[in-house]
Amino acid sequence: MSLKNIKVKVFRFDPTVEKKPRYQIYMVPLTEGMTVLDVLDYIYENVDGSLAYYGHAACRHGICGGCTLVINGKTCLACQTPVYEDVIIEPPPKSKIIRDIVYTKQSRRGSHE
Amino acid sequence: MDERAIETDVLVVGGGGAGLRAAIGAAEKGVGVLLISKGSAARSGASLLAGADLTLDGKSLHELGFPGDPRDSKQKFFNDIITQGFYLNDQRLVEVYVEEAPKRVKELLDWGVKVNFSEERAIFTSGSSILSALLRRSKEVGVDIMDDVMLLDLFVCKGKISGVLGLNIKTGDLITFRSKAVVLATGGWHKAYFPNAGSRELSGDGVAAAYRAGAELGNMEFVTFCCNVLLWPPKWCGIIFPYLLHLLVGGKLINSKGEDFLSKYDPTIVKFGTSTEWNKSFVSIATALEVLEGRGSPHGGIYYEIGDVSWEEFESCVTKYYPKWKYKGIDFSELGKMLKEKKPVEVGPAAEYFEGGIVVNEKFETSVSGLFAAGECTASLFGANRVAAATTEMLVEGAIAGESAAEYAKKVDMPRIDKKNVVRLEKKVLTPLTREGGVKPAELKRKIQRMAHEKLGPVRNREGIEEFIQFIEIIKKEEIPKLYTTTKSRRYNREWIEALELENIVQVLEISAKSSLMRTESRGVHYRLDHPYTDNNNWLKEIIVKRVNDEIRVTTRPITITKTSPPSGVIPYMEMMKKMMEAHSEIGGHH
Repeated sequence: MSLKNIKVKVFRFDPTVEKKPRYQIYMVPLTEGMTVLDVLDYIYENVDGSLAYYGHAACRHGICGGCTLVINGKTCLACQTPVYEDVIIEPPPKSKIIRDIVYTKQSRRGSHE
Repeated sequence: MDERAIETDVLVVGGGGAGLRAAIGAAEKGVGVLLISKGSAARSGASLLAGADLTLDGKSLHELGFPGDPRDSKQKFFNDIITQGFYLNDQRLVEVYVEEAPKRVKELLDWGVKVNFSEERAIFTSGSSILSALLRRSKEVGVDIMDDVMLLDLFVCKGKISGVLGLNIKTGDLITFRSKAVVLATGGWHKAYFPNAGSRELSGDGVAAAYRAGAELGNMEFVTFCCNVLLWPPKWCGIIFPYLLHLLVGGKLINSKGEDFLSKYDPTIVKFGTSTEWNKSFVSIATALEVLEGRGSPHGGIYYEIGDVSWEEFESCVTKYYPKWKYKGIDFSELGKMLKEKKPVEVGPAAEYFEGGIVVNEKFETSVSGLFAAGECTASLFGANRVAAATTEMLVEGAIAGESAAEYAKKVDMPRIDKKNVVRLEKKVLTPLTREGGVKPAELKRKIQRMAHEKLGPVRNREGIEEFIQFIEIIKKEEIPKLYTTTKSRRYNREWIEALELENIVQVLEISAKSSLMRTESRGVHYRLDHPYTDNNNWLKEIIVKRVNDEIRVTTRPITITKTSPPSGVIPYMEMMKKMMEAHSEIGGHH
């Protein structure tokens, strides 16, 4: 059951066809315990299948580091970051963008255990 | 076309434990090795999510300097694996497993893996610790690694493997890999199910590609559902933490009527089926029956509670294993709060391990020359039910598969890849990008996953399996050919990846369903309501599947016996399970 609708502002950029990045706003029904990765999954599955985020091999356990993103200005793992309000999702600064919020060398292969 | 061609002696597909260990085994033999990984190597696959326990006989464990149980022996461990597998195991593979396990564990310790705790015949560490050690070692021996490359298909030339077509997921480039030998270490097909306890990328790509290449698959009807997996909220769905709590700490499982539903089963079954990893088969079946009979939770499970202990006692035990309620990278203090306040914690069975897969011999050769396989994507080691550790499996099988592939590669010339095949295949994989509308991959994925859990889950019957086969036939005909992507960009296009994965998922599910329908008995994790007995007179055989003239040919082969002869007779399933549990040696622990 949805608690409320939130505004999700996502960095979008295809360096092969666009000159500069833009931001797109999606409305997402917030549900209990939703994380940033859940929000991105919701957008991908229900609103906009063209959104690129590192989701195909995300471990969801806070170990792989693949979902590292800048959330409201702070570098976080999307799968372990809860969402309560409107949110801004961006790639880490100065990263080489593949498309949208997917960038080169996404995994740190670090251990969080 | 912007495709690139890359040559290597041995190509390993899979960046988990089996793939990395295979790459090390091959490179140590002095051949060129390239490993491709669908996610980030050593940071993806099911190995990363493993608990992680490594099983080996207690005597060898004792000799390695751990407490272990010195009364244990390889023979006892062998016997236990066979009875746990309801005698369906290929005993050649079990011999290899018990024989090689101590060597593989010892080298891991030498390579820097830290042990958290140990018991009678197992040590416990973490998946990431094992993978980091394997990654370091693979770099030392000169393995080349490419991350985020998906296996699309295998090339076969004159009956021999000649390479692989891969997709660089990030750039969208198609890559032709030419190699003398290929080792598949692609894991299971967790993604075919919802809920599942695997990592996201496991969609049976290797098993489906091997089938298309003409390799035999076996035991595809056997799927282990981990019990007590979190079902709610969505961020936790598929995470096995309460499974570990129930096994290591304790607690109580109740249905929606508040009943301790396990108490209606035989006390011996409940004892083994909750205090050892037999729980995956027993508790998952018992849970699925509660749900089927209308006593389930809203999200298709039951409830986990701390039971008849004080909160202080329970919490102090949990935090001994998981300080501050931290499990892997997840802070579960919120779950602790829910348990303390007696709020409902919904748990249930989730697809976790696949006993079936590619048929291999003790050298881990498949039925296609030059094609080898290791780890969860192979068939027959654990027979109808796995209790011993799959992490040991990945290491033992990976090492041998890698060595065998290297020996093979030394003897053959670099094969040719028919250019026409490459062009035909490339055209095929690009089609979802050319369609302007049709079926959305994410929607089809959800539909298939839920149906698979319902009809091909822990409890099955003929009607449901037949319905599932029809469902899959319609999807193959009417939906797969209409899969399309919203954007036509090839750069990290998740819809494109999922469209390609869905073909593999549908393929393995169809084979699994047909095998399930054929096995008219209950054995191990294959429980049929319409055949609730184990038929040792007719079903001590494996179901083998092969692609012949583009059709699924289903046959059987007798079980492979080297030492231990199976029982005979038709025995009610729960009675058979009890017999198999009681046959266990005196060695304690969770395996």
